[in-house]
Amino acid sequence: MTKCNDGQTDTMGLKTQNNLRLPLLMAAFLFSGYALAQDYGDALVVGTISDARTLVPISASDSASADICGMIFNGLVKYDKDINLIGDLAESWEIQDGGLTIVFHLRKGVRWQDNTPFTAYDVEFTYQKLIDPSVRTPYSGDFKKVKSFEAIDDWTVKVIYTEPFSPGLASWGMPIMPKHLLEKQDLNTASFSRNPVGTGPYKFKKWHTQEKIELVSNKGYFEREPFISRYIYRVIPDEDTLFQELQTFGIDESMLTSLQYTRQTQTKFFEENYRKFRLDSFSYVYLGYNLNLPLFKDKRVRQALNYAVDKNKLIKGVLMGMGKTCAGPFVPESWAYNKDVIPTEFSRAKAKELLSEAGWSDHNNDGWIEKEGKKFEFTIITNQGNLERQRAAEIIQAELKNAGIKVNIKIVEWSAFLSEFIDKRHFEAVLLGWSLGREPDCYDIWHSSKTKEGEFNFIGYVNTEVDKLLEEGRKTFDQKERQKAYHQIHKILYEEQPYMFLYVPDALPVISSRVNGITPAPIGIGYNFIDWWVVKSRQRYKTVMQN
Amino acid sequence: MLKKQLVIGVSIVLILVLSSIFAPLLARYNPNNINIDDALLSPSANHFFGTDQLGRDLFSRMLYGARVSLAVGIIAVGIAALVGLALGCIAGFFGRWVDTLIMRFLDIMLCFPVFFLILAVISILEPSVFNIMLVIGLTGWMSTARLVRAEVLSLKEREFILAARAIGASNSRIIIKHLIPNALGPVIVNAVLSVAGAILLESALSFLGLGIQPPTASWGNILAESKSSLGIAWWMSVFPGLAILITVLSFNMIGEGLRE
Repeated sequence: MTKCNDGQTDTMGLKTQNNLRLPLLMAAFLFSGYALAQDYGDALVVGTISDARTLVPISASDSASADICGMIFNGLVKYDKDINLIGDLAESWEIQDGGLTIVFHLRKGVRWQDNTPFTAYDVEFTYQKLIDPSVRTPYSGDFKKVKSFEAIDDWTVKVIYTEPFSPGLASWGMPIMPKHLLEKQDLNTASFSRNPVGTGPYKFKKWHTQEKIELVSNKGYFEREPFISRYIYRVIPDEDTLFQELQTFGIDESMLTSLQYTRQTQTKFFEENYRKFRLDSFSYVYLGYNLNLPLFKDKRVRQALNYAVDKNKLIKGVLMGMGKTCAGPFVPESWAYNKDVIPTEFSRAKAKELLSEAGWSDHNNDGWIEKEGKKFEFTIITNQGNLERQRAAEIIQAELKNAGIKVNIKIVEWSAFLSEFIDKRHFEAVLLGWSLGREPDCYDIWHSSKTKEGEFNFIGYVNTEVDKLLEEGRKTFDQKERQKAYHQIHKILYEEQPYMFLYVPDALPVISSRVNGITPAPIGIGYNFIDWWVVKSRQRYKTVMQN
Repeated sequence: MLKKQLVIGVSIVLILVLSSIFAPLLARYNPNNINIDDALLSPSANHFFGTDQLGRDLFSRMLYGARVSLAVGIIAVGIAALVGLALGCIAGFFGRWVDTLIMRFLDIMLCFPVFFLILAVISILEPSVFNIMLVIGLTGWMSTARLVRAEVLSLKEREFILAARAIGASNSRIIIKHLIPNALGPVIVNAVLSVAGAILLESALSFLGLGIQPPTASWGNILAESKSSLGIAWWMSVFPGLAILITVLSFNMIGEGLRE
């Protein structure tokens, strides 16, 4: 799923940092043998910067909400540890008519956490809500291509697409919601958003806003009961406080900043009590320009900005080297990433040249460039609690100052940041990250039809060729063909610079060493959460009797 | 003894004020100059106070930060003193419904926990140096107003005021020429003491990210940034912390000294 990323929330490794995330991939859980005698019990307390916004999974567009929803709900399919699609609520599926039709055979005997049987009608209901224009969801795009949806019987659904749609199968990783509870409710206001019921390994218990969300294991989970009895999501809106909490055992799992990873956790204490991981984050951080503003309309200006900022400085200064350069809308590990797009070399001279071509130069020798008497000045907003982003903004500010551009920085609390500034487009430039799914389809971020409130193309990017390529990329199942389309998209976007692509940070989760069963894989570490366990003698939290 | 307090206080403040005025001469680096290769250097002959995570010279940032912190402190208190003086005089001199109106309004203002009031206002306005001065000033005039009102109430019954009235002096003349100069003493003491409070308030706001916005340095936001390197860069927190402590202490010493 693409998610808006505050740079910290990501705790499960497979989803990264607080980004907005593209469909596909809520926490994936792998069934595995359990011949060894693992102990049940204990709780895992995860520390995170931002609170969830809603637990209606099809409306969850931020990492925190998606993390929690991933524990409570299942999709029809999910990714295994090697990033292959496997069945989740669907036991198997057939793709027919050259990709136009998918028939899912659902798992039998699955029950909702309130003990009602799960059936194909729940899937149908979820689909109807996804395409219902009155429901606020950023994921509708993936389902608009469905011509007909039919629940053939209780355990079979048939989806027919109007045209071949390659992200189609993966899009059914979307969490399925219970029809019997939501049928008569308005999803935008339903109390369900704070009291969800799913089919997943954990059940919702309570939510104290801006404090914590508590989940308890679902004894009747269809794979089997998870070993860890409780999953507690603590909201601590400051990464330094999170770090202090790790040291005092207030939390068991969190994301480290690169400074913490490289300089502050080399102690005996950390080696004994925690395990650190360094994983691909499948996310990137960018500076997005509000393209509706005249200031950023000129491509040359955006290119100049890109030339004027030394990305190596960012990687070194912000990430302490724990990351890679990013030269486009895909992460370098993806097959969609076009290796022929060479990141531009930092060049202040080139930047100045492009700016003066576009009419911006320092006429009055005050150190700032102007055009028609107006100084080149804009404000970057980013979210609070993430010092890495703040530092990135400061470096950009200093770099652009050298190019004669005045940048102001405004730091806003995460939920206000999303609702007041991003959703309402009240920004000039925004420093933010995207967590990407494994499916490279990024229609929701770049297609010109996705610019409405709450949708992901909030910078207002419109390019008919990119639109066409995005549609093409979805139409064919041939990876070669798709690759061609995505490579072209990559090339155009880098050329056009609607974002200044900044860097790909490494994901640096840290987890208490008392937790066993963690096996890092290409997809991250969270995929087998139900297999994680703690030896009885090292359990820190008593198991509370569930009702 | 108290005299000594005053002298020490005044000299420290003087040093601070002078060094912030002459910051461009004293600082060896541009306070906002980022130099990634020099990140988190410990104090040395090149960088007296070390460097921060972006390789900026902390000593220079502290000097320029002093400008912001002192300016906010002094100007905010100036605003508070002016407003307090004006309202206190008007309330005390005119009495009756004017007095009731102003004093009840003052009571209302006192009901709000000031810090949270400021937080609320700042989150609506943009957090800038000017706004922070204004907001701290406009939420800090109440004690001055009370002091002045009490002073004016007693002064206006005194013979010299009656004399002024008798020779036909206008209200405004009486207030400006006679009442204010005589009520000024306690106002100044109060103002000096509140400078310390205002500096602390600015630091607290900046620490929370709602004060002075980057890259401008203020002691509060240097302190805030130090949090992320607490265990590995003691200089990031010790120097701004000490600076705030010493400044607040000296303003208190001056205030106490003056009170005598």
